[in-house]
Amino acid sequence: MQSMHSAGERTARGNLSGRKQAGWLHYFANPGRFARFARPILPWLGAVSALLVVIGIVWGYAFAPADFQQGNAARIMYVHVPAAWVSMSGYAMLALCSFFSLVWRHPLADIAAEEIGPVGAGFTFICLVSGALWGRPTWGTYWVWDARLTSVLILFFLYLGHIALVRGFESRERGYRAGAILALAGVVNLPIIVFSVQWWNTLHQGNSFSLSGSSIYPSMLYPLLVATLGFYLCFLTLVLARVLAAIMERKTSSLLLANAERDA
Amino acid sequence: MIEHLDPWPFINGAYGISVLFLAGTALLTWRRLRQAAKRLAQTEAS
Amino acid sequence: MLKPKTRRLYMFSALLLGFGGATALALVGFSSSLTYFLSPRQVAAHAPPAGETFRLGGIVEAGTVQTTQTGESLTTRFDVTDGQAAVPVVYTGVLPDLFGVGQGVVTIGALGPDGAFHADEVLAKHGSTYMPRDVAQSLKNAGKWNPKFGPAPGPDALGSTS
Repeated sequence: MQSMHSAGERTARGNLSGRKQAGWLHYFANPGRFARFARPILPWLGAVSALLVVIGIVWGYAFAPADFQQGNAARIMYVHVPAAWVSMSGYAMLALCSFFSLVWRHPLADIAAEEIGPVGAGFTFICLVSGALWGRPTWGTYWVWDARLTSVLILFFLYLGHIALVRGFESRERGYRAGAILALAGVVNLPIIVFSVQWWNTLHQGNSFSLSGSSIYPSMLYPLLVATLGFYLCFLTLVLARVLAAIMERKTSSLLLANAERDA
Repeated sequence: MIEHLDPWPFINGAYGISVLFLAGTALLTWRRLRQAAKRLAQTEAS
Repeated sequence: MLKPKTRRLYMFSALLLGFGGATALALVGFSSSLTYFLSPRQVAAHAPPAGETFRLGGIVEAGTVQTTQTGESLTTRFDVTDGQAAVPVVYTGVLPDLFGVGQGVVTIGALGPDGAFHADEVLAKHGSTYMPRDVAQSLKNAGKWNPKFGPAPGPDALGSTS
């Protein structure tokens, strides 16, 4: 472990050579330093998020009351809504990382953007599938092309496009640049998703949450909030673990390269 | 005539795919992290 | 002379603003085609020509639901209202679980020569209010039911599932 950190120090210092460091964001933008800080947090984060997801899901599936209108079908809310929120917040994180990558060229922002993509796409997929399974028994159809459903499908394609673009270039730098521009351009889709149900007539119901509160009864709201917190922490755990793995993979390949050069 | 659908297959499907996704990605991520740490330790030792 | 970092910050912020503004303008321009359904009021104002398929959305008006059986198939007639105008709808087929008086629906079809909307498909639209049945019942009993919650529970709701 100790030797890994010193190796990280070396490569990280190489990355940041000749660059002034200012502020805590820049401080943690150093991948080696970030890894040393994040590694001990990961098991705790993983344990708490697993616990919250299990509580939220079991509560929603078995113990929350059936809805006065939709009956038991409303239970799908406890996986659909957290997945939807996480997929949108994940995209906001992706866009933020892309902005940092484009403006300040932070190596950690590139790694984070690359690793957020597949996790965010997964949560968006869960949102779409659970939504379709909710639509059939309540609306009478799996899918309609209304503004809400279509804009979430576009979010899914933005994630897929980012995944492909980041990995689709011979030069890693060029892929990061292209992916970051796509991610930033796609940010306009986020307010469209949120406000689609207010701006246009949609089959999807309106937002249950507003600045004045929620229109969900407390016995159904609490499991929803627990599940949401669990999904959020799950997303953070997965992304953090993937970023740590990516940092170690990079260190391994740069060490291998250095060894090969030394032996040659 | 109103269709009375049993919602439980749909509920089970939505929960099933969510749990499969969360457990599956957690497992894959954990294996990748362990593999990356092992490789790094091996490379540093050599 | 700006530092490259600062220049990039301004450039990408400006790009983001410009792209966001362009998208907003495009959305305002295409607003009508992004609307999933027309309300009875819009149909009353500019009715699409007979035979042209469109979507009509609104609330199923109380006291207008009639079902007639011809052979195997069931035909349902009801009025869709938005509180200001109403359009009569004719539909033959199976209605979704949530269909009922006071319930939101979106129907897909076309106006016929008789002035009625002949629907090929009826979808139920539900509200964004969630509460347990006993709470809904006691709210209604206490006379505190807010119509924006959706149709009140009770025997008058045709589609109530229990």
